[in-house]
Amino acid sequence: MPPTRSGLARRQYGVAALFTAPFFLLFFAFTLAPIGYGAWLSLHREQTSGLGLGGEPEQVFVGLDNFTRALTDGRFLGSFATVGVYCLVYIPIMIGIALLLALLLDSVYARAKRFFQLALYLPNIVPGLIAAMIWTYLYTPGLSPIIDALAKVGVPFNLGSDAGAVGAVANLTIWMHTGYNVIIFFAALQAVPREVIEASTVDGAGQIRIAWSVKAPMIRGAVVLAVLFTVIGAMQLFTEPFIVRDAATTIDQAWTPSLYIYQLTKAYDMGGAAAASLILTVVLAVASFLVTRFSKKGAAL
Amino acid sequence: MKTRSTKAAAALAGAMVSVALVATGCSKGADTPADKPAVTEITFWSWLRASQEVTDAFNKTHTDVQVKFEQIPGGAEGYGKLTNAVKAGNAPDVATVEYAMLPDMLAQGNLADVSGDITDLVKSKYPAPIQELVTLGGKTWTVPLDAGAMVMFYRKDLFEQHKIAVPKTWDEFKTAAEAVKKADPKSRITDWNQTDSANFVSLNWQAGAKWFGIEGDSWKVTLDSPESQKVAGYWQDLITKDLVTNVPAEEVQKRKAANQVWTQLGGAWAAGGLKAGLPDQAGKWASAPLPSWDANPASAMVGGSSFGVSKTSKKKDAALTFITWMTTTPEGIQARLASGASSTLPAIPELADVAAKNFDTKFFGGQDIYAVAKAALPTIKTGWVWGPGMRGVFDGIGEQFKLVQTGKQQLPAVYAPVQTKTIEDLKGRGINAS
Repeated sequence: MPPTRSGLARRQYGVAALFTAPFFLLFFAFTLAPIGYGAWLSLHREQTSGLGLGGEPEQVFVGLDNFTRALTDGRFLGSFATVGVYCLVYIPIMIGIALLLALLLDSVYARAKRFFQLALYLPNIVPGLIAAMIWTYLYTPGLSPIIDALAKVGVPFNLGSDAGAVGAVANLTIWMHTGYNVIIFFAALQAVPREVIEASTVDGAGQIRIAWSVKAPMIRGAVVLAVLFTVIGAMQLFTEPFIVRDAATTIDQAWTPSLYIYQLTKAYDMGGAAAASLILTVVLAVASFLVTRFSKKGAAL
Repeated sequence: MKTRSTKAAAALAGAMVSVALVATGCSKGADTPADKPAVTEITFWSWLRASQEVTDAFNKTHTDVQVKFEQIPGGAEGYGKLTNAVKAGNAPDVATVEYAMLPDMLAQGNLADVSGDITDLVKSKYPAPIQELVTLGGKTWTVPLDAGAMVMFYRKDLFEQHKIAVPKTWDEFKTAAEAVKKADPKSRITDWNQTDSANFVSLNWQAGAKWFGIEGDSWKVTLDSPESQKVAGYWQDLITKDLVTNVPAEEVQKRKAANQVWTQLGGAWAAGGLKAGLPDQAGKWASAPLPSWDANPASAMVGGSSFGVSKTSKKKDAALTFITWMTTTPEGIQARLASGASSTLPAIPELADVAAKNFDTKFFGGQDIYAVAKAALPTIKTGWVWGPGMRGVFDGIGEQFKLVQTGKQQLPAVYAPVQTKTIEDLKGRGINAS
């Protein structure tokens, strides 16, 4: 006798639950639970009393005080401005270079494509921490051959200036992430139907014309996705400035939102850090929403 | 059918867990003398030089207690790690706590109250000024290891070669600084290290400043004082006149290697680092008392560590056995010094002689640098108290130094913002401060 409909559905339900359970278990344990704990922390502040020698601090409920403190702290707001300036420098240059390199790799003139793909991707394999340390040496006057050479030709690179610090960090992240995006764009370019390109060639379009007017628009989706991920990553900027700050005097402890949050945890202000983290999360959510929304509109035109 | 087997499996799993729990319960209860386990294993966190060697030596000579050493980073990172570990319940049994950080660690509730076990020991073995550093709120919290008496290491060869007198006062130091620059325009008498503010804090101590004090039930925070201003003014003058190097730490190291840094101020323990960092300059360095403000020698303490039992430790007795061995026995000190990496000056006077005997002085041309450090001990200015929030103070001063390096800020102005921030931070944590 064949199983009844509802019996089948129920059994499928069970199987589905079995397969999805690990995901939800991990999602709960490592995403939802920490966010929940963070939310709880953000409403509390550690308190001791007297001289502070009385032992373990207590968690005291402070309502939204931690949020008010973060939102009225000029250093926290300033950290968003830094990241904003950084994004304006970093994203167009990095995406631009990546797109250009991907189009070059995809052009009929490209030779040794495999080699260049690998070579361009290599910096991305280097852990961010190591990369930042290497670059810090390259930025230190007296140690770096590059800085000394630049100074000799009359282009002094001053890491001690605000522009120098943003430039230094952007340069480092461009070096690291361009190759990754080249691979993404190149893969998308491979999926562009060859007949479209043939058709444009027949219509008399040159290689540059094809790259700019045919290929680039057709991988728009990949570019938007790359921009989205880059924006999210850039706003969480931490490791690179954290290391480069040894050499760059203008990178202070609240240079980016993540550095600001870290500095609060060092002052045992877990509540403040949690509140600032949640604010950063909301800003990130809004930013990613805007990027997808904006690009969808653009695509519809 | 299926449901039942799931339930059975769950029950079985539950049973296994409870068996495991019972088993753990048993081993926990085993501290009773009747069935004491043969070996108690404890963990030890430190960043001090030769900690591994000390642990190994202890394990070799002890059968009842065995120690597992774990290297952790020094400075703010390490204390953050300890604080988090205590919260998480997986802190080591034995923790390293610098004197400067003790109030901060107590405010975080990181240390177990072992005063009942160590007060007599500390009172009977250590000089009074050292006892003060580990006694807070009428209780003794940790057992001191060393006294980081500040001294001046200098390039004996270069000073002699250029016939420059080794400065005894800060006035002479300035004259010598000018002479050094004249002798070799690329050299400076010392580096103005902007990334590590510990030396600078201690220079304030030497000048008679008292950054923290207790008034009744409240901390009095006074970073900005006439004594501090004297120190800041002096060093700002050296910086302005380009008599000290004012460059990032990486470059300082390079200049040291190139014989362009002629003195280094630091705790007695810094000799070990000097030796390890500049092996080519063996035999060229010597140690001298820290220059003073008047003719009377004066010093301060920079760094200096003690060991405590963490709040979550369940093996207090074993932990104290290890701590006592490390700090108060000749064997413990010998193990630390024999590796050659450490130049710690033990806080117990008799043990300083043990240390001196075990320290290879080849790097210092055979000079008894321990005699210099020991002589500096009684000249340490009294009345200095470390307060909670020193982690923030060191960080804050370091941050201000960056502004000084670029010329955006002058040294005398570094105190006020850090003082305000420290009081604000302490109050935010519910601690009385003004």
